[in-house]
Order: sequence, then structure tokens, then C-alpha cells
Amino acid sequence: MLKKLLNVVFVVLAGGLILSACQPAATPAPAAFTQAPTMEATLAPGSVQLVAQGATFPLPVYDVWTKSFQFVDPSVNITYAGTGSGAGKKAIVDGTVDFAGSDSVLKDEYSQVADLQMLPTLAGAVVPIFNLQSSEKDKDGKAITISELVLDRQTLADIFQAKITNWNDPAIAKLNPTAKLPEVGITVIHRADSSGTTEIFTNALASFSADWKDKVGAGSTVEWPVDKNGNGLGAKGNPGVSVAVQNTTNSIGYVELSYAVANKLAYAKLVNKVGKIVTANAASIQADMSDFANAFDAKLNAKIVDGGSEGSWPITGYTYLIVRMESMKDCLKARKTVEYIKWTLTDARATKIANDLGYASLPKSVYDLVMAKLNNLTCNGAVVSK
Amino acid sequence: MTSFRNSSSEINLLNSQPLRKRRIFINQIMLVITGIMVLLALIPLIWIIIYVFIKGRLAINWNFFTQLPTILGQAGGGILHAIQGTLILLLISTLIAIPIGVLTALYVTRHPNTLLGIATRFGTDVLSGIPSIIIGIFCYAVIVKPQGHFSALAGGIALAILMLPIIIRTTEEMVKLVPTDLREASLALGAPEWKTAITVVLPAAVNGIITGFMLGIARASGETAPLLFTALGNEGFNLTQIVQNGIAQKQNLFTIVGRIINSPVDSLPLTLFKYTSMPYPEQITLAWGVALVLLVIILFLNISAKVFILVREAKIKGK
Amino acid sequence: MKNLISVANPIDNQLIKTRRLFTKITEHGDRPWNFLLISVSLLVIALIIGVVFLLWRDSALARTGLGWDFLKPISNASWNPVTGKMQAWPFIYGTLITSLIAIIIALPVSIGISIFLAELCPNWLRVPLGWMIELLAAIPSVVYGIWGIFVFLPQIITPLGNFLWITLGKIPVFQILFMGPIPQSGMSRLAAGIILSIMIIPTIAAVSRDVFLAIPKAQREASYALGSTQWETIWRVLIPYASSGILGASILGLGRALGETMAVTMVIGNSLEASSSLLRPGYSMASIIVNQFQDTVSSLHSNALIEIALILFFITLILNLVARLMVWQASKKFQKG
Repeated sequence: MLKKLLNVVFVVLAGGLILSACQPAATPAPAAFTQAPTMEATLAPGSVQLVAQGATFPLPVYDVWTKSFQFVDPSVNITYAGTGSGAGKKAIVDGTVDFAGSDSVLKDEYSQVADLQMLPTLAGAVVPIFNLQSSEKDKDGKAITISELVLDRQTLADIFQAKITNWNDPAIAKLNPTAKLPEVGITVIHRADSSGTTEIFTNALASFSADWKDKVGAGSTVEWPVDKNGNGLGAKGNPGVSVAVQNTTNSIGYVELSYAVANKLAYAKLVNKVGKIVTANAASIQADMSDFANAFDAKLNAKIVDGGSEGSWPITGYTYLIVRMESMKDCLKARKTVEYIKWTLTDARATKIANDLGYASLPKSVYDLVMAKLNNLTCNGAVVSK
Repeated sequence: MTSFRNSSSEINLLNSQPLRKRRIFINQIMLVITGIMVLLALIPLIWIIIYVFIKGRLAINWNFFTQLPTILGQAGGGILHAIQGTLILLLISTLIAIPIGVLTALYVTRHPNTLLGIATRFGTDVLSGIPSIIIGIFCYAVIVKPQGHFSALAGGIALAILMLPIIIRTTEEMVKLVPTDLREASLALGAPEWKTAITVVLPAAVNGIITGFMLGIARASGETAPLLFTALGNEGFNLTQIVQNGIAQKQNLFTIVGRIINSPVDSLPLTLFKYTSMPYPEQITLAWGVALVLLVIILFLNISAKVFILVREAKIKGK
Repeated sequence: MKNLISVANPIDNQLIKTRRLFTKITEHGDRPWNFLLISVSLLVIALIIGVVFLLWRDSALARTGLGWDFLKPISNASWNPVTGKMQAWPFIYGTLITSLIAIIIALPVSIGISIFLAELCPNWLRVPLGWMIELLAAIPSVVYGIWGIFVFLPQIITPLGNFLWITLGKIPVFQILFMGPIPQSGMSRLAAGIILSIMIIPTIAAVSRDVFLAIPKAQREASYALGSTQWETIWRVLIPYASSGILGASILGLGRALGETMAVTMVIGNSLEASSSLLRPGYSMASIIVNQFQDTVSSLHSNALIEIALILFFITLILNLVARLMVWQASKKFQKG
């Protein structure tokens, strides 16, 4: 009798699996993509599966892009996993993905796989997010949240270097004369994983403070001085840092701008290199980018932190996709990868998605360089793009 | 005589009213304490079940089970990919673990005192104690890296390795319970060993094998760590497309199945882990929903397996 | 015999010939069958050898490059994969201390539960109650994790941690373990330890209950005959008798706690802070592997992580074997009566 019951259960499960395979299970189509897509006649929907992983810095955009691309070219199904820049770099070196996302530049990886190429896709801002309650209470006795904070470059570096440990430190108070800063310790939240966001942020801190550059340095992982003091917490990915700051009062962290905006986290304004108070937005990102017009090196990498013009946001960085220029094994996938990346750079809808989320698109000169590289991507000796 | 009188006075002392009362009092207290311990252990169980149910209930709707994930931060979408992924992974791991487990158990019960038999039993014990993350590392190095991609196959193999000790052990116990007269009668009738094993011993032990299978599946469906390095997770996994493409392009069954098992897949616990660390409230709600589904499946499997055992034991006692 | 048969009905003759042919073909089926069985068993053993070999080979760079310094218990260990200076002590400490807390909490509770189930429980309640305890073991690790993060930690651990900080944390002797305010989220070694204890209680309780049930009735009867109360019997006779079995069960539970990954990773805080306190976030061996394995910046880094896996493997292996030895010893003792 029980065996019969088990048989019934199996039939139900197997039937469920088969039935679920028979019905169209679609990702809900975003608003801009309702027009009929074009597709090659020889390919069936979803017949090309591209797998990618990497940085969480551009994840909000890449998530929309990858899930929308099937409405542009239904033959391609892309999945992008936000595992962090370090994981992305490792995956493309190991060859377990078709392309990877990273804001952290490749170094030794070139010696393992010679034909890796970083392609900048977007520029974005890293903002210091904070969760702060003022020392004064409102009439019901509940704490008032501080929603605005101004920090300057040296102060920010000092906070992360554990030189400034309390919120009501004179350096912070000087910049925020009207805020009632509490006399509590600062909990600093940083990345636990190998992160391009960390690389951009620490590049900026190294530029802000000679002491930081000397004692801590910049990179995708660093030894955080706050950890030694007991005031540091590590979180995984941009999402992890956002959650950690949300859940820890009197904390500070750093995430890409769109995470702060999407989750309504308070983020600080900075006093930039020329002494102006700036807030992170599309304009200040563009201003910073134009400060470094010719910063791209032969590998198409650029460091654009701490720009010198009035409206520049100091903690800006490019994010890249990493592809293999010659050694992709599946040429159909190589072709579709190139087509996807080109689409993200050329299609107005893709650009709008990125800009709406707070990322800046590439300047024309860089765009030309990237397109040129894509046109040269080969598979089995032959150029893949038409 | 003297000693008798002494011991009776000792006994009188031990049974003297104040001491006796104290002993009875201690007895009561300690027994109550053990009862409290039981409650202490049951509180988290009930707490988890109730809380997961309350929070997960909000996420459960038809879309939850039938749609693929939507864009980050937007409401709607579902976890169809995770459900399909879990079923595929369980299918692969079962197909691998059950034959290997049953055959190994048959060998071990038939030849318990050979070097191989002892070594295999020892090995099964060792295997059951290996932390699942080490199995994940092993499968990454041995399957994912050489193959060059994350896949359901690698995940299924990792889960199979984790299920194997459970299946071996339960099958072994069940086969040991099959009376030797049965085997010997079959052999006396001229059936070869293999035929005896397949047609006589296994059917007698099949209830135990099913129990082991259910317990193994319950364990495998809750595992996350090894899948992080093998199946990776795949939000865009669209089983429908793969199958429909295959049919449209007249691919044979092997090609279609090959495509399915070679893509990265998500699973319920993997999705739960990912969504828990997201700052978007929509994802957190989905996470609770996944926790609810997972809990229901695992509790169902465990309770069914236990009912199986109970019924089987009652039958044996009844005989 | 043969002549007799050939004399009989020719159709029967044909049937017998066919059957004889079939038997002839399949009687050698025993050889491939045995071959199959042996190779499958060898596969199991090969798997374990494969795991050990892989862990050994892929940690070679770290073992030679980092040497014994890797394991040294120092208080300000570094973990800097970029510069190559890596020391695993924080993770080893985290794993050991959280498992220790888990055992300290789980052992008395499990013994209490097993006594209740074996000795005191009314018969109708025994099976359902036993099931419920075993269900605790069936709940997946990630579900413990999500419940921990959103429910258990804020509601229980954070207040508990604050309380311990105010009380024990002020006493110098205890400061090594109870220093520092607990993070607001509750993520700490204490949280990991307590959740681990919940997870291993079923393991220890189930095995201990079986050990108690296996004690020969004569022991109990003798004790009652001498006038003991039920508790005195349990405390003075049964527990000592079952002690090696209970110890074995605890070590099994300890082994499980050491290898537990997901729930610990989600609640321990993943911090490299140089503190030994239970109230502060820490790291465990399994957590660092989960967090950084996909992320390694150099071969030395990945080798170091695999060396940590190797250490974990050996610790759990030894504990597992010791535990089974003790449980086996206990059962032998009971057979002797």
C-alpha cells in the first residue's frame, strides 16, 4: 500500500517536472522590450546558453541587461551571477564562464591566459553609505536618524584606517556643524570577498591620504585596519554590505550608488579635491570621467579616482567585462557574446537602463576602442563578428 | 546475625523520613528537568516551523511556482528555475547513488569479513563524516574544472556522494534482516547468486531501500555548500526552451538530456542562500517562500520515511 | 537421466534443453556479478582516497610555502592573500570554540532528552517525541541560517550578548571570552555556537537514547531492588554504564558541528577581527572556504584554503572514528551484560 503511495508521489513529481517543461515559463518582459524581436532563422529560442559571473558593482544593470537580451535575440539565454570581481576573474581564467565581470584589473592572470581582454562597459560611483542616529531624541523619545552627512577625503580615509573611531570626532563635527553626532564608535563595514568595488574605493583612499597609501594600499582585498580594532565587519558582495549597514546602527560602508538609491540608504557627500562639496550622481560621475580623458592604457584599464574639476565625484571607477580574445571554445557562443556586448554599448534602451540606475556610459573615444577590440575577437582563427 | 542487624539499621537510616523526603524531592526535580530539556529542544523546532510558515506564506502564489525570476528589486517573478533545478539534481544523484549504494551494500553483507568488506564499511563511515564542503571542492577539481563549466551533472554527483553512505547503511541493515533461509532456498533451487540477489533478497529488502532513499533525498535536497562550487546557480535556466528546442530541431533524447545536465542550475537551498544576502525586500520575501517550500518537502520526506519504518516494524512484529 | 528425459514428450524435451542452455549461460553470471559488486565497493574506497589525494595535492604550495606558521595560535594572525601572508589560526579557533560551545550546551540537554525518551516517557509518546527531536536534524542548514539572521539573533542572541557583556564582560577573568559589545545584528561566535548546539542535539540524543535502551534490564532491576529512586538509578547506574556510548555520541555530534557550513557562515559575522571573545564576530574554517574559494587571487591563496579543508577533513575523520569506536565498545559491553 505504501509502495503504491510512493509510486503515486513519483508519478506526480515526474509529471510535474515534465509539465513544467511543457508550459512557456517566461521571465516577465520589461516595458521597453515589447516589440517583436528579430532572430536568426537557423537558431531556436534559448538554444545558446551563455554563462557569466563576476562583479556586483554593475550587477543591477547587468541583471536587467542579461534578462532583457532574450527579448532582443531570443536565441540567447544569458545568466550572470553576482559572485564578486575576484570570482569573475578566477572563472574566466579557469574557463568555466563565457565572459566575466570585474572592476578589479587583471594582473598576474595575463600570464596564465594570455588572450584575456578587459572591456570597459560603464562607469559608476562608489558612495559611503551610513546608518546614523543622532544624539538627540524626538518628542516621543525615539532616536532621530541622520540623513545627511558631509565628509572630506582625509576624514573618510581616517575613518576606514581606524584613526577616527567615534562619530562625534572633531573632524566629522567640523564638516557637519548642525548635526548632533552621537558619542558612539563607528562600525566600519567592508567587503569580505575579493572585490572590484574595494579596488576602486581603496584607490580613491590611497589618493586621498598618503598615510593610507603607505600603510594599507589599494587592491581588491586589503587588510582593513578596523578589523584589528574590532570595529570592522566583512560582508559578501555589494548586496551584503548594503544589508549589513541597514542592520547595524552607527555604521558606515561603501557600495555602488545604485544599491544606496534602490534601498534608500543614506549616503554621504564628499568634499572633493578642489574643495567643493559634491554628491554622487550622473553629472558628477561624468565630470570625473572627463577629468581623465586619456587615462586608458594599452589594456583598456583606467583609474579615474579623485578628479580635479569642480563637479567631480572622487570615488568613480570603470567596470569591465573580461573576454577571451582567441581561446573561446564554442564559436557560436563567442559570436553571441560579441553581439551581446555590442548591443549593450549601442542600443539606446540598454544605455537608458544603465543611466537610469546611476551609471555613466562610455565616452566616444573609449567606445570606439572597445568596438574595435570586439571586432577583432576570433574563434578558431576566424573573426566572429560579421 | 550481627551484620543483619547492622544493615537493617542502615536501611532504617536510609529510609528515615527527612532523607527519604529529600531523595524523593530530588527525584521529582530531576525528572522535571529532563522534561524541560525536551521542551528546550522542541522550542526551536516549533519556532522555526511556525515562523517560516508565517513569513513564507506571503510569497506563495501561483506565479511563485511557475515563473522564472524577474529583475532584481522588482516584485513578481518566481522560483521555477530553483524547483526544476532541485528536481533535476535529485534525479541525477538518485540515479547514481542508488545503484552504487545497493550494490555496495549487497557486497558488504555477503562478504562482511573480507578485507574489501571491512574496508568498504570503514570507508562508508568515513564518507558519512566528510563535511559537505570538502565534497564540493573535490567535485569542482575533478569535474567542473576539467569540463570547463559548472553543471547540474557536477552538482548531482556531489549530492550522490553525500547520499551514498545513507543508502549503503540502510540497505545493509535491511539486507541483513532478510532471513538466510530465503537466500539458501533460492540457491538450493539452482538460482545463481546474482539472480538470488536481484529477485529474492532485494525485493525483501526493498522497503528499507526506499526508506534509505527518502532519507538520502531529504539530506541531498537541503545541501547548499557543495552546489556553490558545482552547479553555481542559474537564474535564466529555462527548461521549457531546452526541451522545446530539442523537439523542434529534432534532436534525439540524449542531446536534449545532455544539454540539461550540462547547464548550471539553481536549487532551492542555493536560491535561499543567495536571496538571504540581498538588500531588496522582494528577494527576502521570496527567500522565506523558498524556506517554506524546502521545509515542507523535507519534513514530508522525513515523516514518510519514519512512517514506512514504523509500518515495516509492525509487520515484522506481527509476523 | 538424460535417456529417460529424451524418451518423454518432445515439447518437454525442447523446454528442458532451452532451460539448460539458459542456465548454462547465466550460471557464469556470478562472475560478472561479483566483479560488479567488487568494483562498486572499490569505487567507494577509491572516492575517499581520491578526496584525500586531491586535498593533499592541491594544498602542496601552501604546506611548503607557509609551513607550520600557518597553524600557529597567535593572537594577531594575518590573512592577506594579496601579500601572501596567511595564517589560519583565527579560523581554527573559530571552528573549535563554536563547536565547544555547541557541545557544552548540547550535551546536558541531549542526555536529559535521551533519559526522558528512554526511561520516563509514556509509551504512546515515545515514538512521536523521538520523531520530533529527529526532525531538528532534518531542517536544512540554510533554513537555520535565515531563521537565525532574521529571528533568533535579533530576538535572543543580541539581548543575551548585551547581558553577558554587562555582567561577565566586566569581570577580568572572563574578559577573554566575553569582551566587547555584541554587534547589533547579533552575529557572533556565540550565535554560531548556540545554533550549532540546536543542530547537534538530535544526533547526540538519538544515539544516547539507543544506548540507554540497550542497557540490560537487570541493571535497572538490581538498582530498584536496592531501594533507589528512579533518578538515583539513572544517575548512579545507567549513566555510568552508558558513559562510553554517550561519549561516542557526543563526539559524533562534535564532528557534525565542526563540519557545519552554511548556518555558521550566515551567523558568525565573517570577521577577521583579532579577538577571542564569544560576543564578537569571528570566522570558521568552513566559512572562509565558502566565502573565498571562488575568489582566490593566487595559487597560494587557493592552496591555503585547501590546506584548511585538509585540516578540517582530518579533524572530522579522527573524531568520527573515535566516536564509532566508543559506541561499538559500549555495545560490546552491553552484550556481555
